[in-house]
Amino acid sequence: MVAPALISHGWAASAPAKPKTGAKRAASTTAQPKRVLRTRAEVDALINKVGRTAPDWWNSVPLEYPKTLDLSWSKADKEWNNQKNVGQYLWDIINPNPGRWKQGAKLLHHLLVVNKDDPQKVLQIMDALARLYYGLLEDYPRAAFWWRKVNAGRKMPYGSNAIQLAECYWKLGNKAMAVEILNWIGPDYTRNGNVIKLWSDMGDVQKALALAEARAREGMTDSAYLAAGDVCRLAGRYPQALAYYQKVLSEEPSNALKGDIPRNRDRARASIEAIRVFDTLDLARVADGTYKSNSLGYAGQLYVSVTVKSGRIESVEVTQHQEKQFYSSLTDTPSQIIAKQSVKGIDVTSGATITSEAIINATAKALAGGMK
Amino acid sequence: MHLNAFLPPARDARKKRSLPRRLLKMLGPTWHASPLRRAVQAVAFVLFMVLFFWVLWPYGARPNPEQVGPASHYADELAAREWIEAEAFLALDPLVSISTAIAARAWVWSLGWAAALLAVSIVFPRGFCGYLCPLGTLIDLVDWSLGKRVKRWRITGGGWWVHLRYYLLATVLVASACGVVLSGFVAAIPVLTRGLVFLIAPLQVGGFRGWHQVPPLGMGHYISIAMFLAVLGLGLLRPRFWCRYVCPTGAVFSLANGLRATHRKVEGACIECGRCAEICPFDAVRADFTTRPAACAFCQTCGGACPAGAIRFVGRWNRAEGNSATLAVAEIPLARRGFLAASLGAVAAVSGSNLVLGAGSSEAFVPVRPPGSVPEPEFLRLCVRCGECFKACPNNVLQPMGFEQGWEGLWTPYVAASWSGCEASCANCGQVCPTGAIRAIPLDEKRVARIGLAVVDKRTCLPYAGREACQLCVDECARAGYHAVEFEMVGVQVDKNGQPVENTGFLAPVVLADRCVGCGLCQTRCDEINVRAKGLLDEVAVRIVAGAGKEDRLAEGSYLELRQAERKKKEEEQRKLKKQSGAEDSYLPDFLK
Repeated sequence: MVAPALISHGWAASAPAKPKTGAKRAASTTAQPKRVLRTRAEVDALINKVGRTAPDWWNSVPLEYPKTLDLSWSKADKEWNNQKNVGQYLWDIINPNPGRWKQGAKLLHHLLVVNKDDPQKVLQIMDALARLYYGLLEDYPRAAFWWRKVNAGRKMPYGSNAIQLAECYWKLGNKAMAVEILNWIGPDYTRNGNVIKLWSDMGDVQKALALAEARAREGMTDSAYLAAGDVCRLAGRYPQALAYYQKVLSEEPSNALKGDIPRNRDRARASIEAIRVFDTLDLARVADGTYKSNSLGYAGQLYVSVTVKSGRIESVEVTQHQEKQFYSSLTDTPSQIIAKQSVKGIDVTSGATITSEAIINATAKALAGGMK
Repeated sequence: MHLNAFLPPARDARKKRSLPRRLLKMLGPTWHASPLRRAVQAVAFVLFMVLFFWVLWPYGARPNPEQVGPASHYADELAAREWIEAEAFLALDPLVSISTAIAARAWVWSLGWAAALLAVSIVFPRGFCGYLCPLGTLIDLVDWSLGKRVKRWRITGGGWWVHLRYYLLATVLVASACGVVLSGFVAAIPVLTRGLVFLIAPLQVGGFRGWHQVPPLGMGHYISIAMFLAVLGLGLLRPRFWCRYVCPTGAVFSLANGLRATHRKVEGACIECGRCAEICPFDAVRADFTTRPAACAFCQTCGGACPAGAIRFVGRWNRAEGNSATLAVAEIPLARRGFLAASLGAVAAVSGSNLVLGAGSSEAFVPVRPPGSVPEPEFLRLCVRCGECFKACPNNVLQPMGFEQGWEGLWTPYVAASWSGCEASCANCGQVCPTGAIRAIPLDEKRVARIGLAVVDKRTCLPYAGREACQLCVDECARAGYHAVEFEMVGVQVDKNGQPVENTGFLAPVVLADRCVGCGLCQTRCDEINVRAKGLLDEVAVRIVAGAGKEDRLAEGSYLELRQAERKKKEEEQRKLKKQSGAEDSYLPDFLK
């Protein structure tokens, strides 16, 4: 069940289908940029200043959209037509393509002008615009600016955008402003546990887990324990994370969206595998021996054979592969793994990223297979 | 004045030979007789092999992670290795440039080289055959290692076939005049390069890179390999049989020998021992020991072999005692019938190919050609099927056609995108093409030269068919820097309120025709993973298609300018559209301020 307060009033209200960017970099560790802290006044000033000015790309992006598009954004017909209905156009064409996001923003700004005499439409468009700045362009001052306009006159933000506005405040450097909204929202009735996730991102593990447990008690065990597992994994509490993910698989939810259960279970399985293979991989616990495993490379399965002796990776050898364009990855990646004695933080070979990653993944899987 | 380059016999036969002489003797009688010639041959042969197997080995290339802008490592690697043009020997083959120039009615850059070589031939008549030709040297090696041992197919005497090379030359030239290039099938260097590319290059790739990287052989391969082995096997009939009687490139030099300034001359000291006739590899010594000037390749082996020191290589004007070129013995004449047959053969070849060219309709097979290829009819006229592009192409994107296009297309290169896609950092094929069938366009031009268009099969493509998520082609295109395949959400479920249901539907690929250059990387990836590795598809779901409107085949001019013109046109249209609609694009409209 979704709480009434969180039912959206627009199309693009649901999380946009964002494509995965590039191959999964399971092994790399990216350094977090240092967080800038701002006072409430500074955040307000920033949102007001940036939100009122056009972004720097504004003039270089042309206003482009299908000629068939219905600019009044009237209610969708029965039949799906992404060349006519604005919501469907955003959903099908703009959201999935990073190259079109700015174009999408231009279109929405244009729609504001076109529909300026219909206040209800203006609200709907501004919300879609804020969502685009927040979810796709990650432009938090502008997202917050437009959401504030949507919520103008209200004491507290209303609707699904409340959590996202809270996240904007957090991203802009003021936790108190975010906490204020989250406390007002209270329990997490979002589909994917967004409230829990934001508490977790802000470092409030206890609060996040408490909300997850509360959600589980309401019968949404699959999404609740998945969120709890993610909270623990982010906090480095791997055994606890594994326990939660196991619960996603073992407990039958009594009050969940049926269609989401298989997907949540798949995600739990993938996280268990990732924790086992990468997060908790401990060379000291791998028995001496030679371990084999494989992973999908650029052109088929790539097989490695890893030899471990007294807690040290002695050799990593690509025993079989179908790659054609591998440059130096077949030798470079194994020698890096041996030099670093780890599958983390390995630089992938330029031009042969997929091959390099397959070697890293297969090596990690082989080592995990040898853990005592 | 004389031009003796051989090693004269020792003055005193009884004396012990000097060390160099003994070493040369150990190498063989021909080394001893004409060491300079053998040394030049060796150097030329090694040079050819280095150019072919080392310079045209693209696998030393490594992308530079620090490079700003798009990668260029394959092109850089070739440029770094190519201190001599990799296709130098092909450019030196005069029949290649003459025939392509005649057929295309255009100047071919390698004509200059051919002319220079023919100029040198005035002093060194047919010296190319005697000294430089790597096919000749390879035939020498085969004759030496195999021909000497296998005697059962040796023939004696002559026949109409002793002039076969002239008839072949006539065929090639008549066909060229009619616009069809046959020289690639029979000219010396293309025969050699193609033989090596189909026979040895797979061993090189397999041995150094892995056997999975050797593309499967097709009918075109087998025919070429059989032909190459036949050329070498002719040596079992008679040493250098190919060069003496068959090679039309040699025939060009033989005809040019009419302008020679120097020739072989036998002087009065001749003791008629017959050693010169015996040792001559080119059948250039008549029964009376005089010279067949058209056959002599100036190798001078006879000079060093003559025990009497009676042979000299002198200026043609030298009138001193001797019998340099008097016709004393009956020879097999050139037959008019032979030329007639040659012309008929050429006409047959031309009409056969015209059938193919004429059939350029929709049902005709349209291959995807390498980037920079000139328009198809000209391409077929200029391509000599030498195979250099195959050798220079990393990962065998370019592969030889069989008979999909009839005889006309045999051994011409096509982009085998299911095997491998054309790398954005490489423009090697055009750099090594000896005739300009593939233009030597720079990398930035190549990256915008459309060779085809990717077409998604919506019936089979996994997301379109509603089977599973897949974004291999989109990722691959982005990685290559084209960003020509984008997503569209398909199969979205709609709830009662007409809202899309989250997590339903798939992101499916959409090809942007104005960005796709047809490199085929998407097809490669779909085939490698979805067809071969996972077995999800029987046939690849995104395929490169060539043809009118889907490719740019410029005989001259710039692809960049073409693209720029297209862009300008589009911008113009946009401006017009904007004017019409009166669209205002203010970031913060007044009513919201």
